[in-house]
Amino acid sequence: MRIMINGADGGLYYFLSSEMLPAPARRRSNLRGKNVIETVQAGDQACPASAASESAPGFEITAREDFSDVTYLLEVRHPMLARAAAPGQFVIVISHERGERIPLTIADFDRNEGTITLVVQAVGKTTREMQQRCQVGARLSSVVGPMGIPSEIGNARKVVCVGGGLGVAPIFPQLRAFKQSGTYVIGVVGFRNRELVFWEEKFKEHCDEFIICTDDGSAGIKGLVTDGIRVALQRHADIDKLVAIGPPIMMKACAETTRPHGIATTVSLNPIMVDGTGMCGGCRVQVAGETKFACVDGPEFNAHDVDFEDLMGRLRRFTAYERQAVEVWEQGQSPTESGATPRT
Amino acid sequence: MEKKGAKKKTIRNIPQDRAPMPVRDADERVQNFKEVACGFDTDAALVEAERCLLCPDPACVPGCPVAIDIVGFIENIADGNYRRSYDILSDANLLPAICGRVCPQEDQCEGVCPVGDTLEPVAIGRLERWIGDLALAEGWTNEPYIEPNGFKVGIVGSGPAGIACAADMAKAGCDVTIYEALHAPGGVLRYGIPEFRLPNEVIDAEMRNLTRMGVKIECNTLVGRLFTIEQMLTELGFHSVFIGSGAGYPKFMGIPGESLHGVLSANELLTRCNLMGAGDFPHHDTPLGLGKHVAVIGSGNTAMDAMRVALRLGAEKVYCVYRRTRDESPAREEEIVHTEEEGIEFHWLTAPLEILGDDDGRVRAMRCIRMELGEPDESGRRRPVEVEGSEYEFEADTVVYAIGTNANPVLGQTSKLKLNQWGYLDVDEDLATSMAGVYAGGDIVTGAATVILAMGLGRQAARSMKAYLGVRDSESAYRPEGQGPGNVLFGIDLGEKNFTRIRVAEAMSAAT
Repeated sequence: MRIMINGADGGLYYFLSSEMLPAPARRRSNLRGKNVIETVQAGDQACPASAASESAPGFEITAREDFSDVTYLLEVRHPMLARAAAPGQFVIVISHERGERIPLTIADFDRNEGTITLVVQAVGKTTREMQQRCQVGARLSSVVGPMGIPSEIGNARKVVCVGGGLGVAPIFPQLRAFKQSGTYVIGVVGFRNRELVFWEEKFKEHCDEFIICTDDGSAGIKGLVTDGIRVALQRHADIDKLVAIGPPIMMKACAETTRPHGIATTVSLNPIMVDGTGMCGGCRVQVAGETKFACVDGPEFNAHDVDFEDLMGRLRRFTAYERQAVEVWEQGQSPTESGATPRT
Repeated sequence: MEKKGAKKKTIRNIPQDRAPMPVRDADERVQNFKEVACGFDTDAALVEAERCLLCPDPACVPGCPVAIDIVGFIENIADGNYRRSYDILSDANLLPAICGRVCPQEDQCEGVCPVGDTLEPVAIGRLERWIGDLALAEGWTNEPYIEPNGFKVGIVGSGPAGIACAADMAKAGCDVTIYEALHAPGGVLRYGIPEFRLPNEVIDAEMRNLTRMGVKIECNTLVGRLFTIEQMLTELGFHSVFIGSGAGYPKFMGIPGESLHGVLSANELLTRCNLMGAGDFPHHDTPLGLGKHVAVIGSGNTAMDAMRVALRLGAEKVYCVYRRTRDESPAREEEIVHTEEEGIEFHWLTAPLEILGDDDGRVRAMRCIRMELGEPDESGRRRPVEVEGSEYEFEADTVVYAIGTNANPVLGQTSKLKLNQWGYLDVDEDLATSMAGVYAGGDIVTGAATVILAMGLGRQAARSMKAYLGVRDSESAYRPEGQGPGNVLFGIDLGEKNFTRIRVAEAMSAAT
């Protein structure tokens, strides 16, 4: 019932509580009375006078795990999104009122708990700031999605799922979906070294074969994910699909590895986006000689048709600004924390 | 009806010249985002209102997409009954302060004003804005007496079409929820039209009026993906749905060099600036990436907005590149004039062939070709044709595309709604889509158009939805047609049909 009050502030919970949630999740909400009360308080405080400004009370972070100095996991409560999410989709997150809209691939979703999982790498100003701010109980100003066309799981019999760097977490839901559909799944993930490895058990649980590749050989095989793919290709002559998520250079290498074998290969593209609804065209990519918008026509495309040079070029579009943003932010960090953003 | 004692107005005895509206000086206004057109003061409004001939059979009313009783509201201004004037305006148009600013009046009400045959037409738009602003300043709102009818109506998109439909449905007693994909409501009013043309506080105020009527606005909700239209009708329990999601998929030309840094759509430029505060980077996190020499391709209102935004964000030179002439330009006359005043350089009859880059992948120039006008095309405008051998290079470091939009694919991807050959939603003359109870209007039906046309369609869809739901429509309640012995079907008076729908009873019992 408390959730209803929160909903009146403009949050999505309004009808989630009464109609949308599957029964188990609804019970769960009631059990979590304490959390709910916190939600209401934060919502009341954040509620501005104007209904037209950013009036949403935000989306609560319910769990956090740090995989390394730069990689962290956030669980965000959004029951309706958790219910709608499918492998391959992403969300757009705004961390605070003056924040930018950043696309993050959904790394996992729990429909019973009503949460989605995001794995973030602190690389720029926004993601580093989030690393500081996004503790359990904090709220993200906006979370919208699920965006993009879900992955096609289809009826492939033997699939290689490749994740590298920030693509390791996003490949997981797809890998699990393949496994659940009865496909033979070979997981290939790449890290720089042993310390950065995460979700090993989680992957193993849903893989028929699991290959870790590290740059220094401190875990699994020494080499890049493409070396892992070659191992898989040697072991199996009947692989009929490969899905790769990671930095563009890695996805390009994966595409070139499978091209001679004629294996259907899908990649998830990560261009710069603003709205994520097809409205701005900032995320346009060249696929088979045509302009496509990754946010609504993708984010997954046939890897053999993607112009990766174009993508990599466009990703450098704001490099100078990104550097400036980090510099200004770092200056604001010392001697005291910037505290520029009102946050409860 | 002529007022007693009032002298009949003729073209000879009305003020001959339009009342002046102050406009901020071009040199000063390009430095900031303050509103350019300052609006009438009371004296000017009274003079301008005197110019209306109060035609007994006015041409302006049918010239208005939402059929405002224009003569009525102007007559009340002249009589000093400002509040009454606002009541008349807001009866037909929820957003007078917005429409008075952004409507292309010269093609609508003012275009058919008979005063315009000899003099300048009555400045209907400026009078509308004056009343709209006065209402906001005085805090006037018209909260109609709303008797809940138990119907739930869902609106997809909080742009002009959606809010116009929402207002009408709320007035009819429906429980209305608007879903907006972005994090702030208003659609194109928010992300598209810049502050100097439509201040955000005006949008906020008009949105507040909407919520006062009981309309709920849920942002951060991407309909189609978070839940589908089908789910709205089933799980979410909406009895009827209106889709006003906008066109929103900017066109590019497909010429070489479009991937270079510095090439972007006007939508992206405007969204970064208006919605994300990129002009304030790094205080706001979203960067803009605008250069010093900005070429905007296209000459519609969006192009004008993009050019003027670029100028205000520090561009030294801003060019308009358009393949036709000023006469064919689809922008509002006032916007073209303002844009010209601000020193934007217009290159009419010019078409880009290629965008040229430097070694770092940044735009360096555009290769263009001169055009000349040939035979009229299907739109009635003379088709531009290339002048052979007239290619030349045009220096620019930023190229902005403002050449229109294609249909946004999200709802087509996620629902069974029928689309037309261009990917827009297919609707009948009542704006009904292929799905029972689902109606659509605005750019997702018509392709890129104007705020007021979208609002007009939103209101038209609301009428259809009321008919579909069997809600008594206040507009037609007292109309005589459809009643009487000649209009009986199976013993039921057709005028009574609205009261016989079984779903009304269902909904009412559910509500209690």
